[in-house]
Amino acid sequence: MKIYNIVLILFLGTLSLKGNEIPTDPCSKLNSKGLLLYDFCDTCGCSGNGGSMGFGTGLNNNFFGLRYIGQRYLSRDGIFANSPWIDENFNTVQLWTQVPIGQRFMVNAVLPYQFHTRTFADGMEQNINGLGDATVLGFYQVLQQNPDSIVSIKPEHTLQLGGGIKMPTGKFDSENLEGSVNPSFQLGTGSWDYLLAANYGLKHRNWGLSFMVNYTFKSENDKEYRFGNQLNYTLNTFKTYYFGTDFALTPQVGVGSEHFEKNKEFGLEVNDTGGYAFFGKAGVELNYKTLALGVSSMLPLAQDLNNGKVEAKNRWAIYVNINI
Amino acid sequence: MLTLSVFIISCSSDDDATELTGNGMVKIEFDNSMAGDDLLLGSSYTNSQNETLTISRLNYIVSNFRLTDEDGTVFTYPKDQGYFITSEETGTTEVVLMDVPAGRYTSLTFGIGVDQEKYLQGAEGQGDLLTEAESTNMMWSWQAGYKFLNFEGTFTSSTVADATDFKIHMGSHGSSLDNYKETTLSLGTEALVSEDMTPIIHLVANASNILDGENKISLTEQAVIMVSEEKSPKIAVNASNMFTVDHVHNGDGGSH
Repeated sequence: MKIYNIVLILFLGTLSLKGNEIPTDPCSKLNSKGLLLYDFCDTCGCSGNGGSMGFGTGLNNNFFGLRYIGQRYLSRDGIFANSPWIDENFNTVQLWTQVPIGQRFMVNAVLPYQFHTRTFADGMEQNINGLGDATVLGFYQVLQQNPDSIVSIKPEHTLQLGGGIKMPTGKFDSENLEGSVNPSFQLGTGSWDYLLAANYGLKHRNWGLSFMVNYTFKSENDKEYRFGNQLNYTLNTFKTYYFGTDFALTPQVGVGSEHFEKNKEFGLEVNDTGGYAFFGKAGVELNYKTLALGVSSMLPLAQDLNNGKVEAKNRWAIYVNINI
Repeated sequence: MLTLSVFIISCSSDDDATELTGNGMVKIEFDNSMAGDDLLLGSSYTNSQNETLTISRLNYIVSNFRLTDEDGTVFTYPKDQGYFITSEETGTTEVVLMDVPAGRYTSLTFGIGVDQEKYLQGAEGQGDLLTEAESTNMMWSWQAGYKFLNFEGTFTSSTVADATDFKIHMGSHGSSLDNYKETTLSLGTEALVSEDMTPIIHLVANASNILDGENKISLTEQAVIMVSEEKSPKIAVNASNMFTVDHVHNGDGGSH
């Protein structure tokens, strides 16, 4: 794959550079502000199990980009201790963008395309693919970075508060609820869902820390199924290494957690739904001029999903963004 | 802040909107297990008495279904259609109740076996049940009566090294010993019935309980138990307590 080669070349190239000096030129063309892209989306098939695969947030960084997210789950096909596990792979490609509106508002939009597969114990495969649920979020910047300086001596705080809407552009098929415990093997929730989100960022020199939290209120869809409300939060730390004026490399580590209330069907609680998953995350973003390339991975550290009948495995993401 | 307050107004859908009308069906799945594992004929399971059972047959009669709704109203299934034989061998493990009035049902009662009232109707009062029982090994003879439970296979234990046949045939002994028992199970959630909603009540029958329930029955001591005034009532109690509700699947009843 070409993209891997580019990443590799850029990686090797940067290693040979002097590195780790903060550029003093305030007019630097380099647009890297670290891994501060706001990321909020449901990475999973539907927002039944969701993802917060993001790096942190905090800056008024405007971009559009393309991202791939892969997630793997094991889910129990049956009600018994010796029932077989199904291997489920959720793949999402997202078109995402963040654009400012005036000084203090910005809009974040995500349009996902999903292609999911699962393999049953008898070897039978099921595939679903199509548009996922599109999300649009608006943010108000309560605290924002001084736009005139890239590097400030003092710690800088950013805080954004916002909310948004997730639209049922992804198909919800009640047939997919059958025969498996994992109700999240879907392209979308089929419902209009509403979000509240808060992002806090702290930067000092080339160190950074970000905390983001969001809550999704999910409504009942036209099949009278309602996915449980969802709370996500992530905490990330990162450090940016600058290489000349055009390159920057930002490794990051963090943790993230996802909590789900129980699903309801016909207004009645559905057994073996809800739960939580807690992830450790690591990743790196490479910036070249206005281009950002990133890879990240999440590994579950603790979880109890769907009464133990669904097990989240590793996730990974790769993205390319162009700052605008 | 404006944005925030706008989105605080979240959705809250009113849940109890579903109007249930007409008559519908209720499906009851009897999913046989051995202490948490799926019961697979030919597989081996070791119980708390250190006997290892390999099961080749598990048939039982279930009958006299009653559904109780949220207001305590009881729907009793017509007695002359109310007897069903489930069989792991043939995969006949689903009971379908027809013409159930629409409602929100919260508990289920049924019998294991054939009650005396039915038996005392005589051979001509049995309808299809008699021939069905004969063809599924659920009848000794008309005089001796129905086998309510037919549980067979082989076993080994610390003192029985070679796989040895066991047969547990439990029933009433004519009209001299009544082993018919009923069980009532809370559904945990509501089963919604209407002309277009057919709930599937997914029961687990833990067959391990037959010998290893509140009464401990040792196959090493006696491997063939049929007409036994001492042991068959104990097995009847164990069998009547082997059922639990795993979940209720509301919907059109197409599949689980």
